[in-house]
Amino acid sequence: MKRFRIGYQTQRRLLGFTFLIPFLLGFLMFFALPLVNTVIYSFNHITVDDVGAMKLEPVGVQNYIDLFTTEVSTRSQQILRVLVDENSNMLVNLPLITLLSLFLALLANRKFKGRALVRMIFFLPIILGLEVVTDMLTVTTGSDWVQAGGGLFSQSLVARLLIRYTSIPNQYLRQLIAFVEDIFSIISRSGVQTLVFLAALQSISPSMYEVARIEGATAYETFWKVTIPSILHILLFVVVYTIVDLFLTSQIAAEAYSFAFEKNKIGIGSALSVVYIFNVLIILGLVLLITRKAVANNAK
Amino acid sequence: MQNERRKPLKPVQTMSAAKKRAMHARLSPDQKIYLAKRQVSGFSMNLITFLLIAGLCFVILYPFIRLVPSVLSNIEDLGNPNVIWIPEKFSTVSFQAASRMIMPEGVMTMVKSIVYALAVMVIQVFISAMTGYTMARVKYKWTGLLYVVVALCFLVPRQSLLLAQYIYFNHFDALGVMRIFGQEVNLINKPVTLYLMALLGFGVNQSLFVLIFSQFFKNIPKELEEAALIDGCGFYRTYFRIMVPNAIPAIATVAILAFVWNYGDTYYTRYFDPSGPYMASKLATTFIDANKVTLLERVRVWYNVPTTTDMAFDALKQAGVLIFLAPLLVLYLFAQRWLVENLESSGLVG
Repeated sequence: MKRFRIGYQTQRRLLGFTFLIPFLLGFLMFFALPLVNTVIYSFNHITVDDVGAMKLEPVGVQNYIDLFTTEVSTRSQQILRVLVDENSNMLVNLPLITLLSLFLALLANRKFKGRALVRMIFFLPIILGLEVVTDMLTVTTGSDWVQAGGGLFSQSLVARLLIRYTSIPNQYLRQLIAFVEDIFSIISRSGVQTLVFLAALQSISPSMYEVARIEGATAYETFWKVTIPSILHILLFVVVYTIVDLFLTSQIAAEAYSFAFEKNKIGIGSALSVVYIFNVLIILGLVLLITRKAVANNAK
Repeated sequence: MQNERRKPLKPVQTMSAAKKRAMHARLSPDQKIYLAKRQVSGFSMNLITFLLIAGLCFVILYPFIRLVPSVLSNIEDLGNPNVIWIPEKFSTVSFQAASRMIMPEGVMTMVKSIVYALAVMVIQVFISAMTGYTMARVKYKWTGLLYVVVALCFLVPRQSLLLAQYIYFNHFDALGVMRIFGQEVNLINKPVTLYLMALLGFGVNQSLFVLIFSQFFKNIPKELEEAALIDGCGFYRTYFRIMVPNAIPAIATVAILAFVWNYGDTYYTRYFDPSGPYMASKLATTFIDANKVTLLERVRVWYNVPTTTDMAFDALKQAGVLIFLAPLLVLYLFAQRWLVENLESSGLVG
């Protein structure tokens, strides 16, 4: 009789699979199934009867048509409008957050006294950037909403001097001032990114810098020829993380929830979710494509 | 090894001041100018760096500096144009009121939410480390697909699945298993839901943790595993005895992030267990504009304050945030050394 034997690799695979079981189960229950269900719901008109059971009634793409034509958001805007706002907001914030976190990491990577303290403060946004905290810090003074750091720069001497004595067109200047005002909301989202960039900067081998020094490179050249190429692959990760993070706090989730549970239109809420997923994936794809190209060009 | 790495590139100057001066005297005028220029540019670079760092630190801390006076001042004083930084009368009424509002069970609420965050953190670290290890170290034909799946879980925004997840939890049947043994259960409003999600790899940002761990385990030398195998360690023993102790830096990073995110999570807690004792969701659901009037009314009754304005609502909110942040900040003070020192080997850099 032939003995049943398992090779080392097969055994390892089987044992390793036991480590994966929780994740795969979770993937099926909490990701794949909800994803499929969302798509199914989005093509149905859904009614909930007294017992709590759901009745599906196929309506084709009617939910999607309704979503973009007749339905309005909680702030009574067109859904398309909300989507466009979210996206443009994200595309503006993405480069700002990426560059700012890179800048913070570069500063924190320098050698100076009190670096530990500075690093501690620079990583504080990991905590302060929690959505609940930033939400609470927006101040409702009077009737209008003011950002936490607001009003400081636009009333400052620098801003007034800029407005009065430079010939920068007013509309650009206003934009610029708005960005500076908004810096806390950008910084509050850059905690993890700074951390990742700093980790990348520290993992660059010092001998690279030594070589650059001996070859007589200036600080500028060293930065562009040594530092930037060594952290480009991390840049990709940071960009993706930032996009995901920005979408996580977007308003669309609340809209989908209100459609489903406040307005009792589960089908339309699901349609919005599907549109939203596609939106995120398309943006990610586009950004990845552009960044990839930049990375490839740099490699040449 | 770390110390070796951080050694400055420049050899340490050991010349005495007198010797330096003597050398300086022997230099030609051109050389002197060059040296002076270098000193000036070095100094100005340092100055600019210092100013930048100080400014950025200020920007990060400003919102908190700003809210100290309004939180500490007497509620009636709020909106007084004479008071900008130093309140006329110090009082802790805002704190007392806010803590009564967001901590209905007193300190126990805070303890409970910390315990909750810690428990989920432990589960998340445990599960994601295991998953990450297998992904990095066991070769399957479909390992690449596994990476795509994990990345997809990270990329698809969790809110978009909220509806279906909610409905699924409402009629939870664990892939049909529950239906065999009886009937489906309603898991909404039960804390077990949140633990279950973490246990099965779908807690807050857990797919990111899986990716971090898999990156980390990829960089651990294969020889360690081989040596363990030759010494007679099985798969599990190799993992728990050899790999886990080596993964401390990654575990520390993930643990800190997991704790912060779970403690501050308002999303899963609010939708899946709305009546649970979580401070973050309490904070997010209590201080909304719709509640403004009732909350201010309560303050007037509780503390005998004659008038309250919108400013008082802000002060309450901010006091609430400070109470909520206190444990996090304390933890951060202790943990940040870990975070900063172990960066290079934390698996964040793939």
